[in-house]
Amino acid sequence: MAIEIEQPLTSKSWLQALAKSERQRLSGAALCGVLAGSQTVILVVGLAWLIDQLVVQARPLIALLPIFALLALSVLMRAVFQWGHETLSLEASLRIRQRARAQVLDKLATLGPVWLASRHSGSLANQVVEHIDALEGYFARFYPQLRITLWLPILILLVVGWLDYLVAIFLLLSAPLIPLFMALVGMGAERLNRDQFVAVSRLSAHFIDRVRGMTTLQLFGHTSAAQRDVWYATDEYRRLSMRTLRLAFLSSAVLEFFASVAIAVVAMYVGFGLLGYIEYGPSPSLTLFSGLAVLLLAPEFFQPLRTLSQHYHDRASALGAAESVVNILNEPGLITDGHETPHVASSLVELVNACVAYPGRGHVVGPLDLTIEQASVIAITGASGSGKSTLLALLAGFISPSSGEYRRHANSQYAWLDQQPCLLHGSLADNLRLASPQASQEQMLAALTRSGFGPLLDQLPDGLETAIGERGIGLSGGQAQRLALARIYLSNAPLVLLDEPTASLDQETERFVITALLQLAQEGRTLVIATHHPAVITAAHRHLVFENGQLREVKE
Amino acid sequence: MMAILREFHPWLKLLIRRRLRFLVGALLVWITLLAGLALLGLSGWFITASALTGIALALGLPARLDVYVPGGGIRFFALVRTVARYIERLYNHNTVLTLLADLRYRVFGFLTRLDDASLHRQRASDWLSRLTADIDTLDNFYLRILVPPVVALLSIAVVALFIAFWLPGVALLMVVTLVPLWFIVTLLAARWGFAQSYQQVVDQQSLRRLVVDQVQASAELMSYQSSPWHRRLIEDQESQALLNQQRLGLKTALINCLVSAITGLLVLAVLWFASFVSSQQLVAAPIVVMVVLIALGVNEVFIALPASFIKLGASYAAVRRLNELTDEPSSIETERALPEGTGLSINATQVSLLYPMSLHPALSDVSFHLPEGKRAVITGKSGAGKSSLASVLVGRLQVTQGAVSVGGIAPWELSSQHRANNFAVLTQQIDLFDASLAENLRIADPSASDATLWKVLTAVALDSWVGGLPNGLDTAVGEKGQQLSGGQARRVALARLMLRNPGLVILDEPFAGVDAETARHIATSLDQWLANRTVIYFVHQLGSLNLLHGVEFHWHLDAGKLQQYLIE
Repeated sequence: MAIEIEQPLTSKSWLQALAKSERQRLSGAALCGVLAGSQTVILVVGLAWLIDQLVVQARPLIALLPIFALLALSVLMRAVFQWGHETLSLEASLRIRQRARAQVLDKLATLGPVWLASRHSGSLANQVVEHIDALEGYFARFYPQLRITLWLPILILLVVGWLDYLVAIFLLLSAPLIPLFMALVGMGAERLNRDQFVAVSRLSAHFIDRVRGMTTLQLFGHTSAAQRDVWYATDEYRRLSMRTLRLAFLSSAVLEFFASVAIAVVAMYVGFGLLGYIEYGPSPSLTLFSGLAVLLLAPEFFQPLRTLSQHYHDRASALGAAESVVNILNEPGLITDGHETPHVASSLVELVNACVAYPGRGHVVGPLDLTIEQASVIAITGASGSGKSTLLALLAGFISPSSGEYRRHANSQYAWLDQQPCLLHGSLADNLRLASPQASQEQMLAALTRSGFGPLLDQLPDGLETAIGERGIGLSGGQAQRLALARIYLSNAPLVLLDEPTASLDQETERFVITALLQLAQEGRTLVIATHHPAVITAAHRHLVFENGQLREVKE
Repeated sequence: MMAILREFHPWLKLLIRRRLRFLVGALLVWITLLAGLALLGLSGWFITASALTGIALALGLPARLDVYVPGGGIRFFALVRTVARYIERLYNHNTVLTLLADLRYRVFGFLTRLDDASLHRQRASDWLSRLTADIDTLDNFYLRILVPPVVALLSIAVVALFIAFWLPGVALLMVVTLVPLWFIVTLLAARWGFAQSYQQVVDQQSLRRLVVDQVQASAELMSYQSSPWHRRLIEDQESQALLNQQRLGLKTALINCLVSAITGLLVLAVLWFASFVSSQQLVAAPIVVMVVLIALGVNEVFIALPASFIKLGASYAAVRRLNELTDEPSSIETERALPEGTGLSINATQVSLLYPMSLHPALSDVSFHLPEGKRAVITGKSGAGKSSLASVLVGRLQVTQGAVSVGGIAPWELSSQHRANNFAVLTQQIDLFDASLAENLRIADPSASDATLWKVLTAVALDSWVGGLPNGLDTAVGEKGQQLSGGQARRVALARLMLRNPGLVILDEPFAGVDAETARHIATSLDQWLANRTVIYFVHQLGSLNLLHGVEFHWHLDAGKLQQYLIE
């Protein structure tokens, strides 16, 4: 279910929209919580009644067995409702996180490779994985508990009122104080949580900063001093945060105080009432039953609020996480769907008057006019930073022109190769499937052999299933480029876009790749290459030079 | 089981080192809990006693109840509970933060001993972002896993002893119910959820890797139109992870449900038995009520336990990752020393270097000789082996084959302090720290005066820029030196180097990002500082030799092989 984005999302509105998508389960969870709470009410009132019957009325134990059985049933019901509360909110939280993650991944897809390349992939992964997971507590605990806090105290108040209206009035008088204290706790906790959030992340940043620069610290023999610094920084943070905590914990202490005082006040009132010292209102009609019941109900009245304040940090971390995610969701997409097909049937891609303006950086490249005919080889040269990469990104559809037109056949495949081929965390086979998910084992082997990866493959006992990259064997730049070349062979895409494919290769691999590219051209594939390699420029049908954001045809 | 304990052991020892804090913290939690139970129990006793006295008085029987002692007691416990809770929270948070400092100190200590290859491997993975999370997990261990079960057990013991004073049978009933329940919510819960909570951490990492892949390979995925394929991989991984979390959550809910049912039924059982004893006139009714209310309140000791213990596997995952750091090889050190401040001759014979898990040597058969006090330039593309060669020459990596001697000694046999004194490296990637400019410079020489700092800043032509900053030397450079441009950061790093007096200097792209005029100025002052030192420049391309004064040798690295070029 897509959530309509009309105006910029805020972290709160996004969380609300997510909660709305699971309204039924979340309401069910809150309802179960209230029902579990009402079973507790039944249990304590029942206990008070039993005690009264046993102690004051001196009823025989055996005569009360049915009531015992009923209360046992109520205990079990309470357990069942608690189960329902927990599982429903868990389920809601899981579904919400799945939905939120899908939403962010969809967004990343519309932002496209150009935008993604400008970001740190680690922190993006943080947002998609950790930050979405940080929403768990908010939906699984805080959100349902908020509803429970609204309804359960009212229910308890009604029961208390029926038993003894003076106690109910006492609780009711403290009730206006509750929202007040709740706001205080809320504001206090929110500000504290925010401060704490900032302080903690600053401190973590300090630590990470030192770890990241470990090489430099070692080179200067400065590690022991840095280690001491790490301790002092953390300890300094402790000193500072203890100062704020002293104040912040006061708000929860107030809640605690209320719960304790409620018991004490009710106990004193009931005790004196039963002794006949109070001759006011309902006091003379107090019995052990009503007295005990209101005593046990008084702390229950405050319990939901206490639980809520325990879950307050869930809300703070969810808001913090939501803020970072919403920043991504609010980014304007760089890719627009639905471009026209080329006007000339034989051309693969057409650019007409296309300009690219990166948001915030103004006019960068264009206007460009370029038609790529089938089976042509086009070399593009130009100083670094002249816009070659932007042109290739434009041709590939990684970025939509801000004005002008981009025409390409719908769903047409093309192959892509740049300076640093991307290796997936996974096996060789996974890395080849990237180009052709359905490729068979034989096809993969053939492609690897053709790209000169064969001798290396023979050394690998696990063959295609060998894990590569971070958790597997390390490949050199040349080996990685051969693997990327194998992807092109595997895909059979008619158009091949290449961005400086040999810029960081050793001489031997460079020669190999150039030969392979010229061969691809002979086989009738269309090649667009940003390169400075003379052999490629000579073999190209067309040579374009990029200057001042404009294309100039050198050879046609 | 033993294996798991072994992994936890060093960290538990660290946490328990502050024994007194641990005991006081646990004591405070315990007092809070007991004050709550006492408040409820005493109130019940008081109300019942009042009721019975009231009835007796109404019937005209002689009866008396001292209302002041119990009344005072109720007020006292109400106050104690509030105050103890407040102090307990403060005190234990203080402990947690103290432990955080201890933990970071210890982990940082491990990291300082890692060699270049391990550091490089760690940096490549996204381990860095997990590091603080892992430390935090351990930090939470104290408040979530260590304190609560101890307090729970102690509370059960005290409550049972107290009740046994009047009703030994009921006390026994409570012990035989609550102690097994304690085992269920701690050890059994930990065991039951172990594999799944461990899996949860593994799943999160797998998902992370897939998302990183989707971001990094977005160009390939889009062009080959294989995004749907990869997206399905992510979705499959995610639903598997969610299923696992769901199972874990259901288990937690089940245990919570069990605790609720058992403690609830226990209250009814206690009431039944106590009333039975009471009906035999063996114990007074107010005592019965007190015991029942205490039994009613005792479930509070279990509340947070199941959720904490069922996730023990996740803590185990964090601990294992941190322990892996200690297993990394660290460099061997001897007490050999080099003369300071003079040029060092370099001899490399048939040097090869093969990183673990790599199929190709980073350096193969590299041989060269650089006499002391001479300067050389080595060209090569990125990935050709330049940084590996630099690491070998300054002893941060040991070669796989062949021999290297610097000033007559294999550099990796020097102690890290000697290496730092004798060798200076301007790395390709500049590390500036989130601190002031002066602090960043003083990493090289903590005792350097401001005048000295200004001197080196002048040498790299940064003096007028820094002089114009409102905070001068105290200007913060920001995280990773972000407040500075790439060229400025490089010049600060160069100035930092000039505060030292090494015999061998390796400069990787010293003029990258610096405009031509400034580069000439720096080259001149660099030339003076480099006098009598052995110098190797690493550059991408031999752009302008006139910046590299006094270079007499030129080698070229390609795929880990070294070729000699003639210098005009």
